[in-house]
Amino acid sequence: MSMIKRAFKTWLLWELLVGLALTGRYLFKKKITVEYPEERTPLSPRFRGLHALRRYESGEERCIACKLCEVVCPALAIVIESEEREDGTRRTTRYDIDMTKCIYCGFCQEACPVDAIVETQEFEYATETREELYYTKDMLLANGDRYEAQIAANLAADAKYC
Amino acid sequence: MTTLFIDDKEITVEPGTSILEACRRHGIEVPYFCYHPELSVAANCRMCLVEVEGWNKPAASCCTPVSEGMKVRTRTEALKKDREMIMEYLLIHHPLDCPVCDQGGDCKLQDYAVEYGPSKGRYSEPKRAVINYDLGPFVNTCMTRCIHCTRCVRFANEIAGTGDIGVLNRGDHMTIAGIVEEALESELSGNLPDICPVGALLDKPSHDLARPWELSHHSSTCIQCPNGCDIQIESRGEQVMRIRPVEGSPEPFICDRGRYVYDSFRSPARILEPQIRQGDGFGSATWEEAFARTVELLKDKRVGILFSPYWSLEGLMSIRLMRDAVFPDAKVAFDLHRRDMRPFAFEEGFSMTTEQIESADQVVVLGCDLRQRLPLLMLRLRKRSRQGRPVTRIGAMNYRTNMSLSNDALIRPRDWHAVIARAMEQVQQLGKTAAGMDEWMASVDGRHEAGKLLADALMADTCALIVGEEIRSHEDAASLIYGLDLLMRACGHAEEGRDGRNLVPEAMNAQMLSAVFGDVRASAGELFALAQAGELDALVLVGSDPVGDGLFPSAAKAALERVPLVQVGAIEGEISRYAEVKLPAAAYVEIEGTFLNMEGRVRTANKPVKSLGEERPLWKVMMRLAMEMGSEPPVVSLEELREALYAAMPEVRDACNSVECDACLIRVGRNRDARALPRKTAEAFPLDVVSRYSMYREGMWARASELLSEAGRIHALDDVLVHPDTLAELGLKPGPLVVESFLGRHTFDIGVRDDVSPGVIYIAKRGVAGDLSDVTSARLVGCGGDS
Repeated sequence: MSMIKRAFKTWLLWELLVGLALTGRYLFKKKITVEYPEERTPLSPRFRGLHALRRYESGEERCIACKLCEVVCPALAIVIESEEREDGTRRTTRYDIDMTKCIYCGFCQEACPVDAIVETQEFEYATETREELYYTKDMLLANGDRYEAQIAANLAADAKYC
Repeated sequence: MTTLFIDDKEITVEPGTSILEACRRHGIEVPYFCYHPELSVAANCRMCLVEVEGWNKPAASCCTPVSEGMKVRTRTEALKKDREMIMEYLLIHHPLDCPVCDQGGDCKLQDYAVEYGPSKGRYSEPKRAVINYDLGPFVNTCMTRCIHCTRCVRFANEIAGTGDIGVLNRGDHMTIAGIVEEALESELSGNLPDICPVGALLDKPSHDLARPWELSHHSSTCIQCPNGCDIQIESRGEQVMRIRPVEGSPEPFICDRGRYVYDSFRSPARILEPQIRQGDGFGSATWEEAFARTVELLKDKRVGILFSPYWSLEGLMSIRLMRDAVFPDAKVAFDLHRRDMRPFAFEEGFSMTTEQIESADQVVVLGCDLRQRLPLLMLRLRKRSRQGRPVTRIGAMNYRTNMSLSNDALIRPRDWHAVIARAMEQVQQLGKTAAGMDEWMASVDGRHEAGKLLADALMADTCALIVGEEIRSHEDAASLIYGLDLLMRACGHAEEGRDGRNLVPEAMNAQMLSAVFGDVRASAGELFALAQAGELDALVLVGSDPVGDGLFPSAAKAALERVPLVQVGAIEGEISRYAEVKLPAAAYVEIEGTFLNMEGRVRTANKPVKSLGEERPLWKVMMRLAMEMGSEPPVVSLEELREALYAAMPEVRDACNSVECDACLIRVGRNRDARALPRKTAEAFPLDVVSRYSMYREGMWARASELLSEAGRIHALDDVLVHPDTLAELGLKPGPLVVESFLGRHTFDIGVRDDVSPGVIYIAKRGVAGDLSDVTSARLVGCGGDS
């Protein structure tokens, strides 16, 4: 009996028909492909992308050069130098992140006592040369200015879980 | 001995020890803020509470002495609660700004808050803020962070002796403040940030520049004074950020000179590459070119060698080996403050340790500004005087000591003979004498009453005689030191084990220098005279600055106008403008080496800081020089060099470098047959000239350091000072006056101060009148004409 059943399936290409049926089902199903870059998937408020240095509303930079991000960074991607500014406050004179070293673990933003260094949801910053991935303080502050609305919204969205 | 139980562990300590001290010695942790082993006990932080069985409330362990059979508990539930409450109380007004505080990461308050503190504060009222005050160029204040442990107040009172920090108000309004808004008047002010357990007092020069965890530590020996403290150099990358005393060493303090000299390590004055003179300036060169020029200058020439005593023993040995191989006839000089080169009855160096000096029955300081010269020894004397032990001082200037002296006399340098003769007279009256004393006394005409003070002090059971620069640089120093030697021998202070004869040396390594260079040694002044007379063709200078320092600046300048100079060194001095070639040698923080301090203790430096340029250890430069000059290099490795050193000084090989072991101390040289009698010479001019040593301005390193230079400006006295009576006698007024000496007539602004001995012109070596260091006597003349 089983031999007859097997011969029947073999000669009528049964397996092929099963496969085609699956193909046919997907052919008419609703598509899930996102047509990047025209279309995008939603990102979590906790998404860890490009870094930014934030400012207070007054325009004063938040970073106080405590160097906790530098010491916590497992990839040693951050380099900070500090000095006493004329008004007596402690400020960075240099704040570099080497994006080629960074592993986007987010420890820096967790360590930051003043929410100065944050990771934005920005991830489209591919460059043609490696040099362009060495972010300096000015570039990071510019990122902060550019993404401030997004950063603030993300922090607010995440605040109740902190 | 007292036996007690701490946490059920049986512990035996000396009676009178506090519980906290007993715990610390046996590795039992008890938290504390206000206690400090070097300071008196205040017991105001209440953090060190422990439970004692049978007592109905916890005891502050820092002020509770142990008693027999006492049962102490340091970790109970009740104590945990107490400590939590105390931490909460201390943190009520603390700003909790650890991320911006330099102390963060190295802070007692932070550590204890984590270990003992509550996890949340309950205080939500406004916090108080306290106004900062200015504590000078080295200490940054942020008084809101202060927890009022009063360690700084006690430090200023007890250790620095200045008492310029105090407590104002009480309770919630309590603040620590400088008594007057001015620079902290202490040569030890840099220790305040180390003393402060929180971030209220911080190191100003390194403020906000680095965090504790970024710093790598290098242990080394400070060579800025003969005391040779152990230091820990903290660097961030290649840059030295600060220098601190080594934790756990017997002396937990270092002076400002040793601490803040570090900014000269990167100063433009460093010699970091070989340089050759080109016209008026210098051009960088390769080692080959520089040596070629050196050989051209030195080959087959009569050469004088001047070097600094601050090199390591290995470096100094290599100078000797190079000299023997290349310039076997050359005279060498290393002491810029010695005019009289006859052998001294006791050579430079201390035969007592600082502990012995601290506990001696009597201490006599002769002609020495110990506070500037040896700040750490001064600190010990201050401790003595707090315990009510006497200190006698005789000298040309009433140097500020920040302590009360039991006896004090102002004398003129030309009176030293009369002082010693008077002391001999008195000692003899009391039946003590030594062979040669009568002869010595007979050759001195006058007697000076200050000698009585000296004789009185010598009558004690143990007496430490500290002989300073005023005698060492005297023109008749050998006879003065022989006279003092006679006195000490007569009074029994020269016997084995009770030797109290201490001659403050020029710098480190004094014992080694007199042992290794004794036979070829000359005075720096002598070398300059020879050069000026045309009997030398060139001078080789290995790291010294006779134009900037010492007693021969005018002679040095005159000599260098005539002969070329080859400079080997780590840093330029004022002499560098005369150099033809400059060869870089590694600085003391950049080498591994051995040093000897004034006590004769072997100190080692290891883990050096990375070199900045092309400089090489001195011994390599010396051996290369020997090779280039056509000799076989005497040694080719550091091991061979050390063998040569040990051959010359076997005791260095066996010496341990422990700070507690007194058995391995290298002995100070003694010259039994140095029997110099007083010379009968009349000074050419009526007034004596004494030059003043300043810890902020003396030495190439200190001058290259901007931090020390600024402190020098703050602490500077007038450049030329006289006693008001001196001027009154001459009928002159302070202001511009002519000083006439064998150098000629120069006009200086003369100030008056009544702590200068009458008859003395007191000059700042590093000021406008620096060139007067060459002279020992002068005359003051009114600007209009002869007086």
